[in-house]
Amino acid sequence: MYKILRKKVLNPTVVLMDIEAPLIAKKAEPGQFIILRVDGEGERIPLTIADFDREGGTVTIIFQIVGGTTGKLSEKNEGDFIEDFAGPLGTPSKLDGLGKVAVVGGGVGCAIAYPIAKKLHSMGCEVHSIAGFRCRDLVILADEFAAVSDTLKIMTDDGSYGECGLVTTALESLINEGNKYDEVIAIGPLVMMKFVCQLTKKYGIKTTVSMNPIMIDGTGMCGGCRLTVGGETKFACVDGPDFDGHLVDFDEAMKRGSMYKEFEAHAREDSCNLFRKEK
Amino acid sequence: MAANMSPKKNEMPTQAPEVRARNFDEVALGYDEATAIDEAKRCLNCKNMPCVSGCPVKIHIPAFIAKVAEGDFDGAYEIITRTSSLPAVCGRVCPQELQCESKCVRGIKGEPVGIGRLERFVADRHNAKADVVVDKPESNGHRVAVIGSGPSGLTCAGDLAKRGYSVTVFEALHVAGGVLVYGIPEFRLPKSIVAREIEGLKAMGVTISTNMIIGKTLSIDELLEDGFEAVFIGSGAGLPRFMGIPGENLRGVYSANEFLTRVNLMKAYREDSATPIMRAKKVAVVGGGNVAMDAARSALRLGAEKVYIVYRRSESELPARREEVEHAMEEGIEFLFLTNPIEILEGEDGSVCGMRCEEMELGEPDASGRRRAVAIEGSEFVLEVDCAVMSIGTSPNPLIKSTTDGLETQKWGGIIADEETGLTSRTAVYAGGDAVTGAATVILAMGAGKNAAEAIDKYIMSK
Repeated sequence: MYKILRKKVLNPTVVLMDIEAPLIAKKAEPGQFIILRVDGEGERIPLTIADFDREGGTVTIIFQIVGGTTGKLSEKNEGDFIEDFAGPLGTPSKLDGLGKVAVVGGGVGCAIAYPIAKKLHSMGCEVHSIAGFRCRDLVILADEFAAVSDTLKIMTDDGSYGECGLVTTALESLINEGNKYDEVIAIGPLVMMKFVCQLTKKYGIKTTVSMNPIMIDGTGMCGGCRLTVGGETKFACVDGPDFDGHLVDFDEAMKRGSMYKEFEAHAREDSCNLFRKEK
Repeated sequence: MAANMSPKKNEMPTQAPEVRARNFDEVALGYDEATAIDEAKRCLNCKNMPCVSGCPVKIHIPAFIAKVAEGDFDGAYEIITRTSSLPAVCGRVCPQELQCESKCVRGIKGEPVGIGRLERFVADRHNAKADVVVDKPESNGHRVAVIGSGPSGLTCAGDLAKRGYSVTVFEALHVAGGVLVYGIPEFRLPKSIVAREIEGLKAMGVTISTNMIIGKTLSIDELLEDGFEAVFIGSGAGLPRFMGIPGENLRGVYSANEFLTRVNLMKAYREDSATPIMRAKKVAVVGGGNVAMDAARSALRLGAEKVYIVYRRSESELPARREEVEHAMEEGIEFLFLTNPIEILEGEDGSVCGMRCEEMELGEPDASGRRRAVAIEGSEFVLEVDCAVMSIGTSPNPLIKSTTDGLETQKWGGIIADEETGLTSRTAVYAGGDAVTGAATVILAMGAGKNAAEAIDKYIMSK
């Protein structure tokens, strides 16, 4: 059992939790993930590590309520326990030797983009962050990004916060202003990462994306998380989750990601009070 | 006592095929006492005990069978557990026809003694008693770490615990049992039986630590620094292989590992499970091993109308346990022998709508000694399916190798370990089971765990 030490609701559908997991906190690096089960009957879901405190022995997760499991998790409170919490899994992000980087986050993906921006900033890298959201109510981590970014652009689809437009618009204008990036790191919905990659390919800028496919064990045993990268089958859990975005077959990943969409929608309706209230 | 000279084994009572094909309850129901005694009387109690030479854990087979024939079932259990830690499991999943029973003298002119069935009977009868007290051995003060709670790890842990070692088993998943819980289905090996065997180990003092991914959460070197005097790696088979044909990443294509893990470990066959699984109408399972049989029969039980086994060699090359093949056939699984998939076809939204196959013929034997399957030109056809399960083997998991300096592996990734002792290229680090051999059987993994336990005991005692 793993104790929830802190819970913070970041927006109506996104929640942050600090989980007591000293062994994982000791080993965790940006880009890695954990697998959790909320209770004894729960499914196993992967969540990227948003932050960690080695001394305090905690691992921070930030999740969006999308299915039954994240719904149930969101109903837990500080002092409650979750059944299983295993990791750190996956390969850490490779950030060494970068001088100037654009970090692009979309929606809850910003929760994963933030620790990367923070690490790059602490390594002395020039960090330009672009964070995109649907609207003002869904904006998360704006202050945190501001603290670790040399330039920050927050984009909303409807212009209710920051600038109106997509993250790709902001990225392209930064590039056109003459910014030369060693690398672009994009983390968010598949469709966002796909269009960021299309853009950066045009400009010939190396781009890393963090994939978050359906997984069960997270250790390489099931192969459910496989995707096509540069024509080869890769397992996100052991080969990733970071991949060269110009080589990832996003269309295939999007189709695979929708395999249990109906099941998830039912599970969410069945289990989540939050969504019942919102309807 | 009069010997039973019937040339045939007592039949195993089973659920009727048409009934069991739609439920996840155990297929084989087990002998009753009278049948067990009758079957035990078929044993000739040969002096040279050929059957024992066929058993990877060297159970004293004629001795336990003699006890069954006398009706002393507790005595029989005591004899089996002197050498085997998981009798209720082995009685169900060992390929006896290739091991003990293949050496049985009664098999020369008839069927061999049903050794596996008798082992199962003895174990089940013991486990049915609620009041079994396990003697906790006296501690010898030495600590050993076991990585993986599958058959090799549990056997190694059990044997060391019996010798007084303080053993901690580290399991990556949330529940102990390894392939016995995520791989082998409920209808072939009820999970309550695995849980019972694991409770027995715990009662002997074995600690099971779940959610511990060795190579990630902790490394082998950290375990040794932490005071474990030896480590046994029984981390299992690893990453599922795919064929590399077009369409393998479509929605509706599973590895057998994923399919079975969803069904068994995550209980996706239950309506109330939080883990989804596709309820397909027509399923093709590619492969001919036990895992393929398990996947095909699970798909049928999930409600598929038609399930095919697609296997590129012929029936006589099927690597699966004979009984599983027979059960699958009885249940209505259709076997397409000498058939090889070349493409999985895409329907709407990236779903599977068919599998393009070609017919094969058998040519010259290959390196493994099996006749190579060669495609027949112009024999292509399309099998209409909406789900495909790839069950063509695994390749070793790199997690431990990549985080343990000095641990040598084969070119294909298997850990190099001494055949007798399981000792790896690192002092105090032993390995066995599928992590060493590649995908094999439960009992071979148990044999390796047993040998390693003995070697670890010798090593620590001689320090």
